[in-house]
Amino acid sequence: MAKPNSAQTALDLVVLTVLDRRGPLHGYGIATAIEDLSEEALRIEEGSLYPALHRMEELGWITAGWKISETKRRARFYRITNTGKKQLASESARWASFSAGVSRVLRHA
Amino acid sequence: MSWLSRFKNALRPRRLDEDLAAEMADHLERRVAALRAKGLGSDEALRQARARFGNVTRLHEESRGFRLWAGLEGTLQDIRYAWRGMRKSPAFAITAVLSLALAIGANTAIYSIVDAAILRPLPLPEPDRLFLLSWPDISDPGSPSGQERDTFSYPEYLQFAAVTKPVARLTFVSSPNRVEAQGPNPDAPLEKVNKAFISGEGFDVLGVRPAVGRLFSAEEDRIPQSRAVAVLSYDYWRKRFQADPAAVGRYLKVQEKAYEIVGVARKGFFGVEPGEFVDVWLPGTLYESRALSDSGWHWFRILGRLAPGVSRDQIQARLQPSFHDFQVQRVSQFPTIPSAIKKQFLESVIRVHSAATGVSNLRKTFSRPLWIVFGVAAGVLLIACANVASLLLARSTARVAEMAMRVSLGAARARLIRQMLTESLLLSLMAGGLGWLLARGIAPLLVSLLSTKDAPAQFVLAIDTRVLFFCIGVSSASAVLFGLLPAWQASGVQPMLCLRSSIGQARRPKLGKVFVSVQVACAFCLVLVGAAFLFSLGNLLRVDPGFDARNVAVLEITTETAPRSGDPVEWNATHPGEQERLRNLMFQFQGRVASQPGVQSAAFAWWPIFEGGGWSEQVIIPGQAPSEREEILYRVSPGYFAALRTPLLAGRDFQPADSSARQPTPTIVNEAFARKYFNGSSNALGREFSYPFGKSLQREVIVGIASDAYYYDLRKSADPIAYLPTEGTGGFILYVRSPLKLGSLTRLVEREARAIGSGTRVREITTLETIVGNTLLREKLLAGVGGTFAGFGLLLAAIGLFGLLSYSVGRRTKEIGIRAALGARRGEIVSLVLRDVSALVGAGLVAGLTAALAVMALFRSLLFGIQKADPLVMGTAIGLFLLTGLVAACLPAQRAATLDPVSALREE
Repeated sequence: MAKPNSAQTALDLVVLTVLDRRGPLHGYGIATAIEDLSEEALRIEEGSLYPALHRMEELGWITAGWKISETKRRARFYRITNTGKKQLASESARWASFSAGVSRVLRHA
Repeated sequence: MSWLSRFKNALRPRRLDEDLAAEMADHLERRVAALRAKGLGSDEALRQARARFGNVTRLHEESRGFRLWAGLEGTLQDIRYAWRGMRKSPAFAITAVLSLALAIGANTAIYSIVDAAILRPLPLPEPDRLFLLSWPDISDPGSPSGQERDTFSYPEYLQFAAVTKPVARLTFVSSPNRVEAQGPNPDAPLEKVNKAFISGEGFDVLGVRPAVGRLFSAEEDRIPQSRAVAVLSYDYWRKRFQADPAAVGRYLKVQEKAYEIVGVARKGFFGVEPGEFVDVWLPGTLYESRALSDSGWHWFRILGRLAPGVSRDQIQARLQPSFHDFQVQRVSQFPTIPSAIKKQFLESVIRVHSAATGVSNLRKTFSRPLWIVFGVAAGVLLIACANVASLLLARSTARVAEMAMRVSLGAARARLIRQMLTESLLLSLMAGGLGWLLARGIAPLLVSLLSTKDAPAQFVLAIDTRVLFFCIGVSSASAVLFGLLPAWQASGVQPMLCLRSSIGQARRPKLGKVFVSVQVACAFCLVLVGAAFLFSLGNLLRVDPGFDARNVAVLEITTETAPRSGDPVEWNATHPGEQERLRNLMFQFQGRVASQPGVQSAAFAWWPIFEGGGWSEQVIIPGQAPSEREEILYRVSPGYFAALRTPLLAGRDFQPADSSARQPTPTIVNEAFARKYFNGSSNALGREFSYPFGKSLQREVIVGIASDAYYYDLRKSADPIAYLPTEGTGGFILYVRSPLKLGSLTRLVEREARAIGSGTRVREITTLETIVGNTLLREKLLAGVGGTFAGFGLLLAAIGLFGLLSYSVGRRTKEIGIRAALGARRGEIVSLVLRDVSALVGAGLVAGLTAALAVMALFRSLLFGIQKADPLVMGTAIGLFLLTGLVAACLPAQRAATLDPVSALREE
């Protein structure tokens, strides 16, 4: 499974948060949402979103399906599952304590 | 869920790929649209969108890795690739699959019988705790011992059960015998069933539960047993009573006596003897009453179940003192017993064997031949594997350019080997499937080779996981066997060398030659072994048995008698009046049958020769010590020697009056008897001897000398036999010499039987040829199967040889063309082609010969009249082999010799 506190976990957390708050979205929607949320602070290679999405799909945190989007086009929509929600809760707690630790170290440095 | 979707995606990777591509394309399009909305030109928008997205191919591959099971996908790819390859060269695929299928089928069929007859544990709970008692058989002084006897008497059983009580539970089980039974319906047919006796607690000891009703209990051990009860086997119940539970409480007639059916044993319980299934179980206490008190009457096996934690040695230690007591008692009953035999009795030790796989008479005769046949089948498989390996090798030469291409594109060697092994596995699994079907057809045929009409061998040959695993295992192992070397060789190509010239192929034929040598060695070994078995059977069939078995029908006749005790020897003394009545009836019957048109002669005896039945006694010559050996005594009617065409050399034949003559009774002995006891036939006529008869001696006077005739077996020399005049008996054998068909002859004899009355009936009909043939089942199995497989191995080896030669001629087309153009003669070219092959064949022959001689030493005892290095067998095998080799080599050599130099050179 994913190593804790890695960049991968960060991306997972962000994606799960977006899906949790905004409901089902397609990949492009998730990418733009991340841009908005982090005010472009969290710049990722947009394509790397997809392996992450597919990995989380196989882990059962999110589900996906083809749907007709708002612009009458076919798009693959992702939705967070209950397992995903649990994962989000536990990971965000861990992330909070980790980042708190990091900022404490940085302050003392 | 996720595992399932990954599995599904691996099965259909193309759909996944399309899916991924569509999703990513959708993203890019949206980004482009968004950028253009910001005012960028379409080219610039596309460039920026791509830059922000990253490497599509890498991301695609990464996603793919999450969404499908890559190992499975690769395997499926390999399988599809292999399948396409096979479709491209169907001749190769068909040859390979068919030859492997035959070999795998043969192996599976034989394994299924070996498994059912020898290896498979009895279908009983905890079979490892079951044991069987036996003791070393008493052997004639000087003859090899090692045989075991596993029958015991009722008093022994009771005593043994008492002394082992705390540590084991014993039961007895008699050997099944075929008897006539009749169902409860008035029109029920008479049919043959296998009947066996068992103790009251027997089912419980074995761990068998009833399917319906009840099984026997301690109640059935009570003597005298007043209730005639029977338990049916599940199969018989289903066959005869259509599995009707109401069968319980009804009556089944067995040998004319009615038994109440009290229950049915559970499904799958066939007894303790693989090969002989019991249909009807009776309590042992319903057997002849004398058998329950006489310790000389051995009529069942003793089996037992160990209590937990008890070893078989502990049982042995407990039983030995009681067993010894019985032996002492036994010896004391026969004061005239030779001292060498007495010593064997007193020193004999009871043995406790595991009975986990059951007990079997059949196994004694057939286990070694079955293993041999199994070995022969394995040899065929090895040849088939070598054959397919060389085919694969030849094919991989054709694919060398493809391999070189793949290697230069970066395919790992392991990956290439994996792919080629997949091809082999696909071949062998297809062959395995076909072989499985073949085996299901072959196995019953093989069983019929072990069976006689009177004792059909029965095995559980239903689809069995052990056999299935064996089949799959053999198939996969052979795939590795024939696939690995060619795969290793083919994947080791040097792309540079290959692309530059054909040097890279130079190594290849060497390996092909190895395979051909292996094939030749195996096939020659098989041919030699097969020839030995065929010649052995031929030798046995050519043995002059001293009688003419052709056109002799053997009919078992019974007639009603006054109630009698079971011992035929005492019959005479105990029932003189009844005896005389029966004797007259028999002579009358013989006369009537013999006078029928088409009947040349008829005679009767107490039991048929060559079926194992017999009676032997010590011979006592006045003034000499009793003989060390017991000799065969055989009661026959007048006309016996004429009916069997055994010449009488001196003296006279029996007359009806001989049967009622006072002592000394007229006797006819054969030459072997006269030679042994009277220094030759000329001295024997008119001499007297006697044999122990109860507590007294029975005196005989020799009135005729017959030429030697075999009695039990064709394998040994003719035994000494003393023929005695017949006594009256309720069951006897009628020999009828007649050219009539067996059916019409039977009707004729049946008519005479009805005419003579007294309930006289024909029971069993067979021919003397069949009876004698039945003693050769083992040899027929070995010769039939060994011979067939040897032929098959030879054919495969010929195909292999042909393939190698064709290949080498094809490869050397250019060289041969040049030689021909330079004026080489045809003979030279042919010898060029044959030279290296003949060396291979020679090496294979030597190896095969060495192996065959070593192997044959292991089963010399199964061969009859075959010397250690029998010139006839070896000559035939070598001749046959060279002939086959010549035929296989002919075509390629012919092609090489007639090669047109011009076209050969142009071809390159």
